[in-house]
Amino acid sequence: MHVEILYRPAHALARVHLAPHESITAESGAMVGMSPNLAMQTQSGGLLSGVKRLFGGESFFRNTFTAPAERGELLLAHALCGDMRVLEMTQAGFLLQSSAFVASTPNVQVGTELGGLKSFFSGAGLFVLRATAPSPGLLVVGAFGGLEELYCDGNLVIDTGHLVAWDATLDYSLGKSSSGWFLSFLSGEGIVCHFRGQGRIWIQSRSAAAYGKEVGSLLPPRRR
Amino acid sequence: MQHAITHGPSFAMLRVDLSPGETVVGEAGAMVARHQSLAMTVKLNAGKSRGFFATLRALVVALLRRVIGGETFFVNHFTTERGGSVWLAPTLAGQIVHRRLDGELLLLSTGAYLAHAGAVELKLKFGGLRAFLAKEGFFFLGVTGHGDLWFTSYGGVEAIDVNGSYLIDNGHLVGYEGQLALSIKSAGGGLLGLAASGEGLVCQFTGQGRVWIQTRNLETLASWLSPMLPR
Repeated sequence: MHVEILYRPAHALARVHLAPHESITAESGAMVGMSPNLAMQTQSGGLLSGVKRLFGGESFFRNTFTAPAERGELLLAHALCGDMRVLEMTQAGFLLQSSAFVASTPNVQVGTELGGLKSFFSGAGLFVLRATAPSPGLLVVGAFGGLEELYCDGNLVIDTGHLVAWDATLDYSLGKSSSGWFLSFLSGEGIVCHFRGQGRIWIQSRSAAAYGKEVGSLLPPRRR
Repeated sequence: MQHAITHGPSFAMLRVDLSPGETVVGEAGAMVARHQSLAMTVKLNAGKSRGFFATLRALVVALLRRVIGGETFFVNHFTTERGGSVWLAPTLAGQIVHRRLDGELLLLSTGAYLAHAGAVELKLKFGGLRAFLAKEGFFFLGVTGHGDLWFTSYGGVEAIDVNGSYLIDNGHLVGYEGQLALSIKSAGGGLLGLAASGEGLVCQFTGQGRVWIQTRNLETLASWLSPMLPR
């Protein structure tokens, strides 16, 4: 399998080249185009994992595209304007913000991280998924805005709205951005993610929630 | 102090690398990431203040900025004893522009401010009816001093070097150098032009200096989007 990212950075599109009998699993609605020889199978992975995914801020269903005894091609896009990146699975795997998931090879297990609920109630609106794979594989992530790879060597503080994915080797915890809760509120940063250890972190240059709030404030109120 | 602007023009992000002892000030809410070695302190958006009355005055100034300037009430000061980086980004899609100030005055559209470093002073300047007709509210943000300034806008930012005179659509103005004179006039075409051309009023700049314009306009986006929303 080979994935190339086109139309970077503002309107990225992933072109997936599938070898015979290869398949890829994508977020529902991510498919933009495909060669007619691909077979699409929709799955929830059982009701329980489907519901769990809904809680994780993802869609209930995912689609798996499989090539027959010949090569195939699939085009995938993220819902928002922005860049995409192909990550090669590592032994430790990745943690990612739920809406960043676009696609992965079928050997990648993607599950809702238990800490996700904690972050939901903390008001950060951050759902965390864990992606692991027993063998080499690929994970395709999408961002809102530009995607930047940072290397955490010790300590980094990241605004939760700008998180995309990070190496599972890193320890992370949610906390206040300033010395006190009141000051954190005033700073406009609210809740941030504190990272410790060594590993890569991918961030997005815009926060979808903040963007929506700003543009939404200019729109007429919804009538009910 | 080193800096880099990446991911422009659509989704620009600013990285500032601080050496020990250096400080950069950013608009509240603009922080994307920072090294833990950088301390973040929230301060009133009102310059330096010492003493009770100065603090009180600062409070009023910050409040004014929030209400009429469309800016944030607070700014964040990033300081470090060991060195490190901070990443900053505006909320909307758009570009970031860096400007090194050496005593000259820059007038910015309120809301264009992102960050500054050094001995830079920010003051609200009453622009009167001209500013209002330029769709900037009644105020501009006057920036002067010696240091670095980063400003931002929705859309791309184009610098226009005016030598003589130049016209700019009101609503697309990001900022201009203080030595330029600003006046408001009709785009032409008489009354029909004023009412029906879709251009209405324009800002005329005369003199010699630089003007920055934004290639997109947020109000236009909002008014295009509004009728499409479900009722």
